[in-house]
Amino acid sequence: MIALLVILFIICLVLRFPIAFALGFSCLIYLLFKGIPLLIIPAKMYSGIDVFVLLSIPGFILAGNLMNTGGLTEKIIAFCNHLLGHVRGGLALANVGTSMLFAGISGTAISDTASIGSIMIPAMKKEGYDSDFSCAITAASSTVGPIIPPSVPMIIAATLSGLTVGKLFLAGALPGLMLGVGLMVVTYFIARKNNYPKYPRSSFGIIMRSFIDTFWALLMTAIILFGIIGGIFTPTEASIIAVIYALIIGFFVYRKLNLRNVYTVIMDSMKTSASLMVLVGFANLFGWILITERFPQIISEGISSFSQNKYVVLLLINLILIFVGTFMETIAALLVLFPILLKVAVTVGVDPIHFAVIAVLNLIIGLTTPPVGVCLFVASSIGKESIGKVSKASLPFLSVSLVVLILVTLFPQISMLLPNLLMP
Amino acid sequence: MILKILSKLLSIGTMLSTLGFIGATSVQIFARFFLANALSSTEEASRLFFFYAMSFAAGLALRDKYYVELDIFYRKFPKKIRKLTDIFVQLSSIFLFAIMAIFSVQYIHLGSIETSPSMKIPMSFAFFSLLLMSLTLLIYGIVELAKRNKLK
Repeated sequence: MIALLVILFIICLVLRFPIAFALGFSCLIYLLFKGIPLLIIPAKMYSGIDVFVLLSIPGFILAGNLMNTGGLTEKIIAFCNHLLGHVRGGLALANVGTSMLFAGISGTAISDTASIGSIMIPAMKKEGYDSDFSCAITAASSTVGPIIPPSVPMIIAATLSGLTVGKLFLAGALPGLMLGVGLMVVTYFIARKNNYPKYPRSSFGIIMRSFIDTFWALLMTAIILFGIIGGIFTPTEASIIAVIYALIIGFFVYRKLNLRNVYTVIMDSMKTSASLMVLVGFANLFGWILITERFPQIISEGISSFSQNKYVVLLLINLILIFVGTFMETIAALLVLFPILLKVAVTVGVDPIHFAVIAVLNLIIGLTTPPVGVCLFVASSIGKESIGKVSKASLPFLSVSLVVLILVTLFPQISMLLPNLLMP
Repeated sequence: MILKILSKLLSIGTMLSTLGFIGATSVQIFARFFLANALSSTEEASRLFFFYAMSFAAGLALRDKYYVELDIFYRKFPKKIRKLTDIFVQLSSIFLFAIMAIFSVQYIHLGSIETSPSMKIPMSFAFFSLLLMSLTLLIYGIVELAKRNKLK
């Protein structure tokens, strides 16, 4: 019967059901076939959404959108440009730097590609960068966001595994930085090879002034992180503090927020959050069916019978996750696969925190894996460039992501260092 | 006209619940830092506001196409097949939400015999948010189906 559920789900995806409804509809048909009372649908929906950590998601999304509407994106871009513009390919490096700084605000890769790309891609093209390169670097750099805290996928992973959000946020920090620095190194070499432009060095005063402009955004990330890690606030409280902080900065410091655009931002953020919560609710029902059918054990036994070696198992899991991440939205894939694969990983001795980082990293790499990575599509549509060319131009960046993934997989210390140091 | 009123009501519901969610959590933070005892009811209140905010917004999210879908295969379908799959997806979604709405009513009945731990309100009030979510999704599912048929 489990085959019926999985096949139905895949058929629904192919037919372009929204992923949340694909989960719900395949579960409904399964329940009807099995004669299980349908009261389980609202019961599992409710228990899936009624998880305290999930309450932080609308707050983080709202705070990010408020900061973005408050003009933060332009300020971060300006700061990175002043800081890195004098280096060959400075605008491209600023693109990566912006994603690293913006990561703390947004937390999702697709929104980073769209918001940063809509400013950076036209600017880069205007300055003489190749269109395919501009799109590819924007898509690649936006994957840094969901790893560097605060990260929505990490909150979901915490919800699914019972791990603390603070530890998961910390675990993602170093891999995120490695990914960002790695992308910058490759960008620099490509820029030198293609003789991309560089600009006169900005004065220290200008750099400092633009830093002060972005400082408020960085301070928000710091407040969130230290508040959660220090046990001062719960993640939900931290998200609401971030909202209040973003409102104060937007109204009184950047002065770009008004009641009208705050209304639009709140509605937009709540619709995004609601679509995620419907997904979470149906995924909980789907997960419950998988558990009652012993699906995690079946997968675990299947992989164990193939190999008991920790690294072979992790390699297999990496391949599965990258493949799924290429097709499927990060959070949906996480909700369906994370609990199953976590069980497998733990049985071969992988730390759950280390595994959460591996899982999120894999799924976001999938977003830029040709030919169907979603971020590539978003960037290519902004840059009006063919997906084929953008895919080809993204290969060097994909290689960097894969190297970081291999390092993070092989060396758990990279993920575990900060959680062990700051939250022992 | 009815849809405009519905959309306005859902927007107001979303906005009020969101403000309630922010307010309840803010009181919770304030109470923890500045009052002798933290208020246990604020956590429950914020959960309730959160549920209602999500339920009011769920239908609007469907109307404005916030639900992520996978269209790489769909784009390869011939036009005729696309039309058929669109109708199938809409009808299946409507069926799903209708079932969900019907069984949410039963779930609400179950909730009437228990109360929340600190606010002591019947759980049926919290479970009602699921009925609201199902109904808004159902209505906008039907609207989407009607729109597509009209276009043809």
